[in-house]
Amino acid sequence: MITQEEIKTEQGKVPYIEVKNLVTRFFTSKGIVKALENVSFKIYPGEVYGLVGESGCGKSVTSTSIMDLIPDPPGRILDGEIFIDNFNILSDLKSLAKIKVRSETDVKIKRNKSAIKRHNFILSKIRGNKISMIFQEPFLALNPTISIGKQISEVILLHNIIGMADSIIKRETMKTTDVDELLEQLAEINDYSMRKKIINQWTRNFGIPDLEASITSLLDHVTDQKYVAEQIAHMIEENQREINIDRIKEIRDYYTIERKIFELTLNQIQFERTGEIKKAQEAKAKIRAYKAMSKKKYFKLRLEMRFFSKRVLAIFHKEARRRVLELLTLVNLAGPEVVIDEYPHELSGGMQQRAMIAMALASNPKMLIADEPTTALDVTTQAQILELIGELNKVMGMSVLFITHDLAVIAEMCNKVGVMYAGNIVEETTTEEIFNDPKHPYTVGLMNSLPRADKKREKELKFETIPGNVPNLITPPPGCRFHPRCKFAMDICSLKKPKLTEVSENHKVACFLYSNESEDDVA
Amino acid sequence: MELKYYIIRRLLVLIPTLLGLLLLTFILLDALPKSFLIEQFVNHKLPIPAQNLEKQQAITTLGLNLSPPEQFLIYVNNLIHGNWGFMYPNSEGYGSYYSGPVLAGIMEYFPVTLEIAIFAVIFSIVIAIPLGTYIGSKPNSVSDQVGRVFSLSGYAMPTFFLALVLQIAINPYFPSFISGQGYPSYTHLSWIKSISGTEVSTPTHMLVFDSLLHGDFSLAAVAFGHLVLPVLALSYGFLAGLLRFIRAGMVDASNQEYVKTARAKGVPEKQVLRKHVRKNALLPSITVFGLVFSGLLGGAVVIEEVYDLNGLGRFGLSTVSGGYIQFFGILGTTLFFGIVLVMANLIVDVLYALMDPRIRY
Amino acid sequence: MIPGANKEEKKRNPRLEDIKDTAKLLVKNKLALTGLIISSFYIFFAILDVIYPQYLGVGPGVVTTLTRFTGPNIVLAPPTDPTFSKGWYYFLGTTYANIPLLPAMLAALYNDIWDSAIVVGSGAVIGILVGTFSGYFGKIVDELVMRITDIFFSIPYLIFAIIMVTVLARVFAADNITIPPLTIISVSLIVIWWPTYARLTRSITLSVKSQKFIEASTASGSSRVRNVVVHVIPNVLSPVFVQISLDIGNVILLFATLAFLPLTFLNLNEFTPELGSMISSSETYMLGPGWFSAVIPAVFLLIFTISINLFGDGLRDVLDPKLRR
Ligand SMILES: Nc1ncnc2c1ncn2[C@@H]1O[C@H](COP(=O)(O)OP(=O)(O)OP(=O)(O)O)[C@@H](O)[C@H]1O
Ligand code: SF4
Ligand SMILES: [Mg+2]
Repeated sequence: MITQEEIKTEQGKVPYIEVKNLVTRFFTSKGIVKALENVSFKIYPGEVYGLVGESGCGKSVTSTSIMDLIPDPPGRILDGEIFIDNFNILSDLKSLAKIKVRSETDVKIKRNKSAIKRHNFILSKIRGNKISMIFQEPFLALNPTISIGKQISEVILLHNIIGMADSIIKRETMKTTDVDELLEQLAEINDYSMRKKIINQWTRNFGIPDLEASITSLLDHVTDQKYVAEQIAHMIEENQREINIDRIKEIRDYYTIERKIFELTLNQIQFERTGEIKKAQEAKAKIRAYKAMSKKKYFKLRLEMRFFSKRVLAIFHKEARRRVLELLTLVNLAGPEVVIDEYPHELSGGMQQRAMIAMALASNPKMLIADEPTTALDVTTQAQILELIGELNKVMGMSVLFITHDLAVIAEMCNKVGVMYAGNIVEETTTEEIFNDPKHPYTVGLMNSLPRADKKREKELKFETIPGNVPNLITPPPGCRFHPRCKFAMDICSLKKPKLTEVSENHKVACFLYSNESEDDVA
Repeated sequence: MELKYYIIRRLLVLIPTLLGLLLLTFILLDALPKSFLIEQFVNHKLPIPAQNLEKQQAITTLGLNLSPPEQFLIYVNNLIHGNWGFMYPNSEGYGSYYSGPVLAGIMEYFPVTLEIAIFAVIFSIVIAIPLGTYIGSKPNSVSDQVGRVFSLSGYAMPTFFLALVLQIAINPYFPSFISGQGYPSYTHLSWIKSISGTEVSTPTHMLVFDSLLHGDFSLAAVAFGHLVLPVLALSYGFLAGLLRFIRAGMVDASNQEYVKTARAKGVPEKQVLRKHVRKNALLPSITVFGLVFSGLLGGAVVIEEVYDLNGLGRFGLSTVSGGYIQFFGILGTTLFFGIVLVMANLIVDVLYALMDPRIRY
Repeated sequence: MIPGANKEEKKRNPRLEDIKDTAKLLVKNKLALTGLIISSFYIFFAILDVIYPQYLGVGPGVVTTLTRFTGPNIVLAPPTDPTFSKGWYYFLGTTYANIPLLPAMLAALYNDIWDSAIVVGSGAVIGILVGTFSGYFGKIVDELVMRITDIFFSIPYLIFAIIMVTVLARVFAADNITIPPLTIISVSLIVIWWPTYARLTRSITLSVKSQKFIEASTASGSSRVRNVVVHVIPNVLSPVFVQISLDIGNVILLFATLAFLPLTFLNLNEFTPELGSMISSSETYMLGPGWFSAVIPAVFLLIFTISINLFGDGLRDVLDPKLRR
């Protein structure tokens, strides 16, 4: 959790996620749903960003857009940029489809299949790896016919094969000198926690985290260095399995080439966007060469992986399983050894959501999107899950985009809040400010609808609601979309759209009450 | 262990259904004029006293001197003891219709139907799964529309017409595919002997499998050749049904939340289809298998008629053909078809239960 | 919520809106639209025959047997080629016994469509009544109805139809009642067909029954029979309608198949105006130059069944709330 002071100095930092002018629409038989209209915001590393708003205002569409998971048909992202860890996943947006809007209900979309294929390839390496997501209803979000363990290890096998291969190779080719090195390192250190850290790192490095506990206790209780070294070497030897190192190296190399292709594709897309045609073509030629090479060199391996992937990757499955157990423990699931082989329907809602979180953490992403993760759960479980997410943020420094319509949860969880109304962010500021000094009339309305214990007694039960309904997004009100419900609506409000502008430090509002745009600007 | 109890429970529920089926058929047959039923047993060439004797015999075998409930109970009792009644020689088309004990007849004719049904089911599944997965993964694409027309034509095609057209279209090119005298039921061994030269034992009673068991591949090939057209004609409707259901299952499964989760995990598109959508789409398709299988059994009646195969459908038809209505034949056929269908459904349900982790008994 | 906000919504008739939307979506679905157009064309002829029986000369009361087209003395003869010189009767040539193919096909079509409409319609009515009431009242009645439908589903319906048709034909013959063979088939098929609808409507009834508005209307003193009629039956209509549109094709096929099979008791012969029996009667010509006399009626039938299936399938898609966007 970052403190308020840190937020104030965020100017110098690089956001992990930056959304710029995002426009998402749904082309339905009833008309075009203008679900998102120029949504922009940034999320910095370690930040918990809250998104609030009434039902149907586009919170889920925002989060699915960031993952680029808008169902097509009917939806499409039409415009905008989404930077995830400095890469704009919408770089090639314009090449994906040509959209011809003849009328509200008559839209022709011509999709470019090869571009979409490339786009999906890129995104499949980003989703779950750099950014992951948990959903409102864990029961629906988990595949009913695959065991929990397999669903989680799938993520690990997708994104972490190379790292796993490296540590397996290290473990299998470990020598006694490696043990000696550890002992040497430890000899100079007396601080207990420091020692623990070193042992932890060392075991992790060599892919034997199982042995961490026994090695630690051995080192703690036995002083005879030679005996210790022997014992550790023995333990490791027992842990080494008779496996074909060459095979693992082959698999690692194969995946390394895959990664190379991915990186080159990123380059190609970036060059295409900046208009450096030559460089893009160079990258393309390289990709082709790599692909041809991989096809030729790893023909047999690819074939085997296609049909006997379980056998070829057996050792990786085993490693992944160990990691899954770790993850399940991390999210405080009781009895991970049992849960790992169970199916979603055998778990309670809270356990399912924990499993979802474990899945989201599997490949150590820096960002988690949580779309109303507690709405479907009972109150006590809600609190536990919220606590867990908060902990993950604090301990692992993970950024969180937290979507909810519960303001109390926002107050508890978030550093920064964006308030959405009918497809726009209408106000964005720190959590403190939003509660102490809400500016936008819609936010004020939201605040007033909260039951407040500190107000006078008779008012306690009769909290105000905002009059009217969320507008239909097929034919949203012109100008400020809030004007039909706004107490302060002026003439300009129905004519012109207010921009999200900074009214004070770290406080942005989209409302004419706070901007000095004059009515003359109206075209 | 639990599965065993589940199966036993299901079997117990099946008994009243089958009894109900018998009762319904029995009530229907009871409406037939008694004199008509009796006349069928009488050889009019015999002298009158002998005819009268035969009439008396018929009345006792049919139990017409008893009340209908008594008749039914006695029939069921006989069934349990393996006596399914008798089919009487048909004076008009003697030889071309079966006569003898009903159960023996069914056992003689059933293997042929079973054989074409097995091949038709295998063929349909092998085609329907990849094709249905493919078109189901791109709903409303051109290939989906083509698939839709293809499978709806399967629903809409009169089986007898398809069978006729196949016969005529293929006849000039591969005359050996079409058996002039029909596919032999296992008792007619003369046909088998004429090809392989030796007598063959028939453990499965199905020619293709028997000859394979004997290692006689040329006989197996010939036998299979005879089955190609019937199997093709029979498969179309079944295939069409499976295809529609698998496609619907695919569309349904791809709209589920967990597919979105899979994409959010970074699973590549192809693997999403293979690992997450397909299994969940195929599972519910298993449950409709029984429904479509009923259509396949019905189709067998027509196919066997067109291709001159001595199968169960033929047997069923012969119980109402040639101016005769074979009382026990009809009851036996109905019961047996009922058993086959009901067992197929049971097997399918057990398979489903084994494959879907959500189902516990 | 502003009190007046929903007024506009209330004025509109939701059911009417729904039908309008359905029609719009249906028009967008090209295959379903094609199916609808082609099958309406067939149905148009069938209706035309009722309104102007004399016009095509094939309506009710005009044709109960194809001998009308053969003249007084029947001579079995091979089919002759299409000709345009002898008037529209002979546009498709003649089939066995010098019957002009085109009017014979129209007469057969008339019988097939009306008879299957009657079968499916009566099956649906019986099924809806049995299904909704047994589903709504539950308990023993429901259990009994379900077991009975189980029986019907435990045997391929073609087998049941063959037996039923034969027995009925023989029973009527014994009582010296002359009933046209097609009517016998219709009666048998109604008996076989209602369980499908009973099952379908029962499952919908169960889900409607558990909804709040039913409880509310029971609480406000509405009787149970009234509930079924007012709340349940309207809800089952659209799935039933989809089922009907798919079943019309099935039943026509069943008619044709029963006519094709050698069911001696049924007295269907080459002069019964029925597409299946026309096909099977000219089967012998299929290998020779007269092949068209079997193939044309078959294709004529096939086009209709495919179209009505396309329409029914499209309708199902359009009415499926899950697929509605
Ligand atoms: N698949 C879709 N097809 C058509 N319209 C859609 C689709 N998904 C979302 N929308 C529209 O986009 C708008 C925003 O929906 P969204 O799901 O983002 O709301 P939300 O803020 O998440 O609400 P809630 O709090 O209920 O989850 C809604 O008006 C909705 O109708
Ligand atoms: S811009 Fe106008 S209508 Fe919109 S919130 Fe501000 S005052 Fe209200
Ligand atoms: Mg939402």
